[in-house]
Amino acid sequence: MDKLREIIKYLEGRQARFADAREHLFRQREIYTEDTRVEQITEQDISGVGIKVLYNNGWGYASTSAMDMDSLRAAADKALSLAKYADKSAVEPVVLAAEPRHTGRFATNIKENPFEVKISDAVGALLEAGEISLKGKDIIKANGYLVLRNMRKKYANTEGSAIETDIYTILPEIQATARANGEVKSRHYWASPETAGYEFFRGIDFKTNAARIAEQAREHCFARACESGPTTLILDPEHLSLTIHESVGHPTELDRVLGYEESCAGRSFATMDKLGKFKYGSELVNLVADNTLEGGLASCGYDDEGVECQKWHIVKDGILNGYGVNRELAHKMNMSRANGTTRATLYSDVPITRMPNLYLAPGKKPLTKEQLIADTESGIYIEGMGSFSIDQMRLNMQFGGDAFWEIKNGKITGMLKDVVYNALSYEFWRSCDAIADESEFRRAGFITCGKGDPMQAAQMTHGASPARFRNITVRRAK
Amino acid sequence: MNKTNSIIEKVLKDPVTDHVVLAYSKSETHHIRFSNNSVNRENLHKLEEEVKAEVGVDGATGACRTNDLSEEGIKRAVAKAYETAKLLPKDPEYMPPITQQEAAAVKNFKPAFGEFSEEKKYGILDEAFGEMKKAGLNSAGSLSANPYTLEVYNNRGARLSHTNCFSTLALTAMTGNSSFKDSHISKDFSDYDGAKFLSDLVSRAKLSENPGPLEPGKYTVVLGPAAVEELLLFFCWYNMDAKAIDEGRSAFSKRPGATIASDLVHICSKPDHGRVGLHPFCIDDGMPYTEFDMIKGGKLVSPWYSRFYAAKKGVAATGKQSANILFKGTDKPLEALIAGVENGVYVNSFWYIRLVDLMDGIFTGMTRDGVFRIKDGKLAGSVNNFRFNQSVFDLLLNTIDVGRAKDMFFTSMPPITVRDFNFVSKTEF
Repeated sequence: MDKLREIIKYLEGRQARFADAREHLFRQREIYTEDTRVEQITEQDISGVGIKVLYNNGWGYASTSAMDMDSLRAAADKALSLAKYADKSAVEPVVLAAEPRHTGRFATNIKENPFEVKISDAVGALLEAGEISLKGKDIIKANGYLVLRNMRKKYANTEGSAIETDIYTILPEIQATARANGEVKSRHYWASPETAGYEFFRGIDFKTNAARIAEQAREHCFARACESGPTTLILDPEHLSLTIHESVGHPTELDRVLGYEESCAGRSFATMDKLGKFKYGSELVNLVADNTLEGGLASCGYDDEGVECQKWHIVKDGILNGYGVNRELAHKMNMSRANGTTRATLYSDVPITRMPNLYLAPGKKPLTKEQLIADTESGIYIEGMGSFSIDQMRLNMQFGGDAFWEIKNGKITGMLKDVVYNALSYEFWRSCDAIADESEFRRAGFITCGKGDPMQAAQMTHGASPARFRNITVRRAK
Repeated sequence: MNKTNSIIEKVLKDPVTDHVVLAYSKSETHHIRFSNNSVNRENLHKLEEEVKAEVGVDGATGACRTNDLSEEGIKRAVAKAYETAKLLPKDPEYMPPITQQEAAAVKNFKPAFGEFSEEKKYGILDEAFGEMKKAGLNSAGSLSANPYTLEVYNNRGARLSHTNCFSTLALTAMTGNSSFKDSHISKDFSDYDGAKFLSDLVSRAKLSENPGPLEPGKYTVVLGPAAVEELLLFFCWYNMDAKAIDEGRSAFSKRPGATIASDLVHICSKPDHGRVGLHPFCIDDGMPYTEFDMIKGGKLVSPWYSRFYAAKKGVAATGKQSANILFKGTDKPLEALIAGVENGVYVNSFWYIRLVDLMDGIFTGMTRDGVFRIKDGKLAGSVNNFRFNQSVFDLLLNTIDVGRAKDMFFTSMPPITVRDFNFVSKTEF
């Protein structure tokens, strides 16, 4: 931390209006298994310091992997020089929202350090799952995937903040692929990724799920093709996590809304003039951003511009209520404070507005998934994530899924195949007429959310209880 | 020889096992991002140097990447890779490092590029912002320069090195209700004609203004090079692996020997193309990429063979991926393709392409940054964006015209005319 403070002082002496420095150690182990072999194991140990400088109204950023003071000063000079170039084209003043000075530390609550457990333990669990799946009839491929990640950061800025964070992340997945009846279908099991210690991995029941996904992958090959047309959908929490991510999370990043992301990720239909009045969903729909969520993938204590993580509503009782906002853009919404959503992937990446942990609040009335299905005369129940695509304004969206079942007269009657549904995002959320209660709430999340230019991958948790959507256009995929 | 090279050579003089591969990469990126006619986003410089150590032990391999390039740091990465390999079961697809003789087959090339100064970069942007403002347009995009060096060393004497540079200006010009995007891809921008690039961009952006409604359906489309690239890359990634084809997990598995494309379609790879391709050898193990045809004469000629699978099948390895993907063009300009369409749609680029059905090669996605109606061989105004659900096999079979190819980083792609392209819905803009 002393070196970071020194470099901040160095920049203060060179007319930087604001500067921060972030030391960032990124350690990751990825294990890929294919059938009963280890396809690949990759370790990464990447560390360095990123320095961000505001000169007048221009930003510059430079990084170095060397920790000696000469290298840090050289990076600081480069960031300052780039900021001066940017200032020449500035079209408006940069106004940074105030943030209290923080000197805290935040760490994932872990019992067992994943990097201190022998690799063979995780490899063994994935290979065993593969063996079980391959015993299933007509299974031609079994894959396993595990990511263990540790991000350690030190942060200092010209306002006196000095923060340390230490985050552990675990993402496990297995998949089985069946070939039968002229079809090839895969089914996956994804234990919701968490910020957690290795004890989280130990608690996962791979054996039962490996057998289940193998059976369901084969069943999918024999499923009846869906019919095209409007129908009722009941979506499981994992599936809804992706829908929430694409049709609510991204369109409510304020930098997108204001056009800063136009050239890559795109813009948003959820413009600021709609705040507080636009009917984003039915009145049952409450979408809550919460970077204080225990175990949440975006729960990091403080973000990469030194703002404390927070909780707020993105959609409240169906109405657009908020955005993910950084310090630079907060004033455009008359917000006195950013909400702690600015993150970078590696030390060499510029922190940008990233999606928070974002979940669909459970229904308030007692309602189980089984009751929800029993209450549905005709429709399709979808589990898991499949094909997904949405336009750059986040309006026209099309989703598939990992498995589909027909609902007739309140009962699951068999598996379907080739299901994709297509809707405008706000029409989709407006059609939500039931959400199961808290007892059915499940999490899911991502560690590969792409945004920025150069592209960065961020992590965040979503969650939901199963929910029902009426009159959604379903189309046969082929 | 620089310091890192010397350390790598030292580590390889006394290899921990008979399988040690050290891949070194160095890149210096200057990336300037802008929006609202101002440099107001990522404006960064990064110098990245890494070594990836791969160590084999008794038929299993472990790997570790580090950016600690001190002797201790590199040795630590080797030790971690070794420890990982030791704990793993024997891999039935294990391959030893390539030999010096195998490495000698590399089709290397030395691209020439000069300095691309900061003054020049910001000057290019000043000119662009000025032209956009003059035309009443807004702009967003990035200008980046990325010189890099990749080297692969192993304990069997293979030594490979490639230095290259890619620079890009990607610029989206926006009216109040539409956009058009174009890119200039170069080594050092010595070939950049700002006046022409910006004038073409402004005229297309103006043409995109006030998009009119057009119902979805099947249309004859002219796809711009960026659109062709986006769709074909997805198709290749999912379907070109030879092992997946043989195991029944590729759309090609269902089509052995079938006619899958029009005779106009010729897709191949050429490692020493010079302008297209990031490196002429695999950056993990140094395997030299080969020149080969993928699709020609309406048929799949060769998929992608890894070293293991090529050895198993007794064919030449192409690599898990290829050095580049070249869709052979003609000498026809884009305007000639448009002139050949009486009633259709021009698509500049796609967005958010995803697989819908693996075995039938069906993909979905949206049009983006330039969709125009074609009437009587001319662009006739802008229309709303569409979603498509399209079989790439149908696209390849229905390709009725091919234009002049545009060179990009990893691909060279021509505009193409395709019958019966399947737009399934539209959006609100």
